[in-house]
This record gives sequence, structure tokens and C-alpha cells, in this order.
Amino acid sequence: MRGWLIAGITAYLGVTAPAWAAPPPVSTTIEPEQITLGESARLTVTSVGTSVEPVTLPTVPGLELRVVGQSSRFEIVNGTTLSTTSIIVRVTPQTAGIFTIPGLTPKSQPLLLRVNPDNGGGGSAPPVVTGGSTPSGIRMAAEGAAYLRFIVPEREVYVGESVPVEIELGLRDGFARANDVPVLTGDDFTFNNLSRKPEQNQKIIDGKPYTLLTWHSVLAAVKPGAFSLVVETPVTVRLRTGSQRESMLEDLLGDPFFQNFFGATVTKNIKIASQPAELKVLALPTEGRPADFSGAVGSFKIASDISAASVAAGDPLTLRMRVTGSGNFDRVDSAMLERLDQWKTYPPKSSFTASDAIGYRGEKIFEQPLIASKPGVQTLPGLAFSYFDPTARRYETARSSPLSVTVSPSLADTAPPAPAVAAGAAASAAAAPASPSHSGLRPDHIAAGAFVDSLVPLYMRPRFFVIPLGLALLFIGGWLAARAREPNEKSARRDRGTSKAAKRVLAQLETAARSGDAALFFSAARAALQQVLAARWRVPADGITTADVDARLGGDTGLEGDARLQSDADDIRRLFALADEASYSADKLNVTDFARWMQIVRRQLTGEQAG
Amino acid sequence: MIRRRPLAAWLIGLTLCGGQTLAAEPAPTEFSAAGLYNLANSYARAGKPGMAVLYYERARLLAPDDPDIEANLNYVRESSRLPREAPTALARALRFAAPTVAAWIGLAGLLIVGTSLLAGRLSSRHRWLRRAGAALGLSMVGLTIGNGVVLWPALHEAVVISAGAPVRVAPVPMGDAAFVLAEAETVHMRAEHEGFVLIRTRAGRSGWVSRANLAAVVPTS
Repeated sequence: MRGWLIAGITAYLGVTAPAWAAPPPVSTTIEPEQITLGESARLTVTSVGTSVEPVTLPTVPGLELRVVGQSSRFEIVNGTTLSTTSIIVRVTPQTAGIFTIPGLTPKSQPLLLRVNPDNGGGGSAPPVVTGGSTPSGIRMAAEGAAYLRFIVPEREVYVGESVPVEIELGLRDGFARANDVPVLTGDDFTFNNLSRKPEQNQKIIDGKPYTLLTWHSVLAAVKPGAFSLVVETPVTVRLRTGSQRESMLEDLLGDPFFQNFFGATVTKNIKIASQPAELKVLALPTEGRPADFSGAVGSFKIASDISAASVAAGDPLTLRMRVTGSGNFDRVDSAMLERLDQWKTYPPKSSFTASDAIGYRGEKIFEQPLIASKPGVQTLPGLAFSYFDPTARRYETARSSPLSVTVSPSLADTAPPAPAVAAGAAASAAAAPASPSHSGLRPDHIAAGAFVDSLVPLYMRPRFFVIPLGLALLFIGGWLAARAREPNEKSARRDRGTSKAAKRVLAQLETAARSGDAALFFSAARAALQQVLAARWRVPADGITTADVDARLGGDTGLEGDARLQSDADDIRRLFALADEASYSADKLNVTDFARWMQIVRRQLTGEQAG
Repeated sequence: MIRRRPLAAWLIGLTLCGGQTLAAEPAPTEFSAAGLYNLANSYARAGKPGMAVLYYERARLLAPDDPDIEANLNYVRESSRLPREAPTALARALRFAAPTVAAWIGLAGLLIVGTSLLAGRLSSRHRWLRRAGAALGLSMVGLTIGNGVVLWPALHEAVVISAGAPVRVAPVPMGDAAFVLAEAETVHMRAEHEGFVLIRTRAGRSGWVSRANLAAVVPTS
């Protein structure tokens, strides 16, 4: 429709053109005359009439000039139709500085363009474009395409306190869109991450439609002081390339599609910022600070309950503390019952359930496992929770009521069971017939059987172990005593054997003496003495000759027990000699000689003393 | 002690015969196989398989060769959907007698062995008799030792006395349970820490169970 209107007006002007067919005046303008590096300026060459003189774009070092469109305008002043035609050139600087653009037509004047360096952001970040403020306090940016508003409470806050804030981003429909969520500049505050799906509303501002994106969040100061808070967000905006008057026409045309169709806008990525919000942060007072204060700031209430009012000893139960209210729940903490007589306590765990979108209001539940160690009625003391109330500007301590728990004896501790239980169970078993479901059980035993005082096997009890231990020690002692007696027994046995042999030899000698057989007498006597000497000298008995006897008994033998041998040495040598002689001579001995030699041999064999 | 036993036996007998006026029961520190067995039967009839198995196990310690105890124990286990226990022939043979009897047999064996050795030291006569006596005594001591070896695991076993006892990975009552024990299941106790017992099931799974959910077959106190 608008296209047909423009075509009709153009045709009309073509018919009436000869009426003012004079050389058309030409004007050149540049808007704005001062820009920041990264932005573009618009150079407009306007001539009166429906035609425009050909334009030759000059070459300016550091500037890029490009024709982006052409527009015509018709005005009726006092019944006279006035038509103008414009050529629009986009001027984009590549460096900062002051540039002179020569006249584009012979009649036009040179133009000046000041390009400021980009000081904001850094790297490839888009520039911050600021604009004028509206009466409502909104700071419009990018020629009214977008604005960002940061709403904080107008009061003093405390360090660590959670402060609800609101961020509103206005985007003119068709002219701007958001690229990311807003961020808070500076490091003096903690700021919750914002949702990528904010509240979305439509609003007409100054007659133009806007889409409003609203984020709710909380911030907390990390140190005291006076701060100026600013939030920023990157947006993509569509900037007009025409003059203000042309913009009015474009606004009249309204539809951004047609504006874009006629080449009236350019797209840019920029970052817009909110107006600074002033906030004063106070330090938490040290006076009156409770010992269990964990840093919670806000308004809270507590309540406590327990998972079971009665429990068996040894069974765990859970003590709960519920903290409700508003504030910095991330600093709400409690050790609950750290130490309690008759109870085994464990560290609590907590969970938070928010009742709003930003976690400023909600309920934090602490659950602490407890185990009762002794039966009886136990009382759990009331719980306490300390926080700082920023409204009252003082520390508060919330308390819960004490809880009562009945602890019964553990089933495992009733071994063997209580007499009443045993009696009742046994009696019922005897009295009532077995239920069908337990018909597979064999019947009870009538005989009580033997009783023991422990289920620990007898041989594993220390008291019993003394018996086999004592018995073993007794046997070991007896065995050692018997072993100690063994040498004497052997000696006596040996002595008894020697005595028997000596008796046999002496009996032989007596027999030979009675028969007067000197050869037999001396032979037997020599054999007996050979045995004695062999034992003393530790040599074979057969190897002892008269010469050996002469040689060994000629002096001190040095052997223990040889006193008898020394005293009878001469007689023994004589006996050995006589024994040799008796074998070849027929000498007869009288009874006295036999008795004398018998005495000598007996003394050597039995150890009897001489005389 | 000597005076109390006949009195306790008389009172138990009176109870089993239907007497309702039970003035006293055996002292809590006294056990009899029949008393434990009857008590286990009562728990079984009352629908408490955990306590029933516990007292059957205790009764079996005192009377290992009692077929009634074995039969009822297996019956309750099967009723609770637990596997039936099948001890090996060697284990059954080594549990030939009650531990008390085995203790005295071992003591007599020790006496015979000691006497034989001492006699051999003192006299060399009747060597074959002494050797036979030593062999007999050693066999008796060996039987007692074997009885102890077979019984040793039972001394460190416990029975789950509550349904669905949670087994945790740490000795604290927090967090999710690794698995759950069935009531009447018998487990091996490996360690204890602040009200929790480290157990090992017959299937080989380990974890910590609250002491309140278990009862040791052999009471510690």
C-alpha cells in the first residue's frame, strides 16, 4: 500500500517537474559527528528534486565509505510541492582520529568526523552504547532499542545478608534482542546465577512496543562500604541509518520489515549497562554475637520434632530441626546436639526447600541421627539457633521445646529373655494347640535337662582352662623329676651288674682254691683284674699284658680312683707274673696264699678297703 | 549354684506341665538345651522367626546331636524362605557331643597321655600298654580340639532379629542401605564399632548393621 502511494507521488512529481526545473541545491551532512571506534556514522547527500547528481565517493585513509541506500521525500508547503532526494553513505572508521571527508559534489563543503578510541570492555567485546534517560528513570540505549534497569532496595544492608534484587531488560520489538543474561560488574558482591528463562512481558513505552525480560535474584556483599552497582548485558540492536526526520517517516511506516527493506537500519552487537544503583553495606556488629552464630542474616523461626516417641535401645531415630523464614539460607547451619549423655549422636545433614524462585524464602531441615544407649524415659533438650535480624539490627536466638522419648530395652539385650516372657511363652505353648501354620514344628521337650551358666564351651572358658593347664604342668614336672633321677638309677644298675660279676669271679676263685688248682686260680684272677684295669684304662681287656701292667703301675697313673691300684700295684704285677708262671709250673700254693690272693682280687673287684 | 539347679528344673517342669503359678524362673545366667529349645518353639509359634532361630542355635550349642532342634531350626528357616543348612559329615562327627562333655573327654585324654608318658619314663615294663594309652588319650584330646574348631564359627555368629535390617557401608545410621537382611538370617560377626557390627553373610556380602537388629548366638555378657 505504501509502495503504491510512493509510486503515485513519484508519477505526480514527474508530471509537474518542469514547473521548478532549476539546478537543484545539494547539501551534505554527517551524523553523528563524533563516534567511537567500532561504530558507524551516516553521511547523507540531499538534493532538491527527484533526481540527484552522481556522487563519487572519495578515498579517505582510515575510513570506509559505502552507499547503502537512497530515499526521496515529498512535502507540500503552502500548496507548493517540494521534493528532495537523498543518498545515504555509511562511514565506518578503521582507526581512531579526526578525519576530513572532502565534498562529495562540487558545491558541497568538506565534513569533519571525530573517532574516539574504544576504552570500554576489551578484546572483541562489543562497545557500551549509552543514551539519554527517560523520565521514568529508564536508561535507554542504542537509540531507544533497549534499556537495562537494576532495582535494589533503598536501605542499608549487612555483610552476608541476602538482598533481593530485580533486573529488567527492555527490548524494542524488532529492533533488539538479548544475547545473554545480565551480569553484575565488580567483585564486591556475590550474585546468584540468573535463569535463561526470565519472566517475559509486553509493555508500551513512549508509544513503542517493548518486550520486558525480568530476572529476580539475590546478591550479598562480601565487605562493608558504599558501592555503586551496575549490571550489563550484551544485545543485538538494529540502528537506523537515516536522519531524524527520516526516522520519523520510518517510525510512521512502523513495520521494521519495511524499514529494513528500504535499507534504513544496520545490525550491531553492543553491550548495554544499567544506571548505577547505590548501596551501603554495614559490617555485622561484634557486640552481643552468640557463640553459635553461623552467619545467618534474616528473619527465622525454628521448630523440632523426632521420628519416633518410643524406641528400643540401640535403634536409631532422627531428630529434626526446621528453620523457616527469609534470609541467607546458605549460611544457616547448626550442629544440633553435639554431645548428650545416654545418647550416641551423629553429625546432622541438612536440606533446603525454597518457597520462592530465588531461594530467599523457604525451609531448611536439619536431620540428626541419634541412638539411645540406655532404656528409660529420656528428654532431648530444646534446640537453639542464632541469627542476625537486619530489621531489628541485633542478634536473635530462636529456641525449640524439649522432646521426650521413651526408650525400651533392646530385644537383643534380653538374652536369655525376661522370666515373664519365657514363662508366658512356654505356658501358652503347652496350653494351646499348635497352630496349623506351625504344625511342622516338633513338640516341646518335657525334661529340663542339665543347666550350664554360659553358652561358651567349657573348654574355652579361662576358669576351666586352669585344670588341663595344671595337669599338664604336673606331668611335665613329674617327667623332669624322673629324668633327673635317671643318672643315679644307671649308676646303681651298673653297680649291681658289677657286683654280680665280681661274685661270680670270686666264686670261681674259691672253687679253684678249694681244689688247689693254682693255674686255674691265677688265670681267673688275671681275667678279673684285666676287666677291672680295662675299665679303668679304657683299653680292651684282652690287650692288657704283664708288660702293660708293669709299665702302667710302675708310677702314678694320674687317674681318679686309682688309689687302690697303687696300693696293690706290686701285688697285681706279681699276680700277673704268677699267672704266667702257673701255666708252665707245677707249684702248689697253700691255703694261706690262696686266701691272700683272694683278698687282693676281692679288694680290686668290690672296692673293699685293705686290712 | 548346686541348690538352685534342682529348683529351677522343678519350676521349668511345672511350667511345661501347664502350671500357671510360676514363682521364679532359672536365673538369667543359666541355660539348658531343653529350655532354650522350648523357648525357640514359642517364638516360632508367635511368628518371630528371628528370635526362634536365635534360641534354636543356642540350644544346638548345648545339645548338638538333638534331632528335634535340628529339625525345627530347618523348619523355621525354610518357613522364612532361608536356605537350609547342611553341615558336612566331618563337622557332624566332630560335634559328637555337647561342648561340656567334650571338655571332660579332652581332660581325660590329657590325663591318659600324661600318665602314659610319665609311666614310660619311670618304668620300661608294659610298653604296648603305655603306647595304646597315649594313642587313646591323644585321640580324645584331638576330638575335643576338633569340636572346638567346628564350634568356633558359631561363637561369632549372630541372628537377624528384625525384618529388613539395613546393611550400610559405614557404621553410621545415614545414607542409603547397601542391602537388606532378612529376619532369621544368620551372619558372621567380624568387628564392632559404636553400636554397629560388621557382618558377613553366607553369600559373602559384608556391611555394617545396627547392633539392635542382631543378637549374638553366644551372649557376650
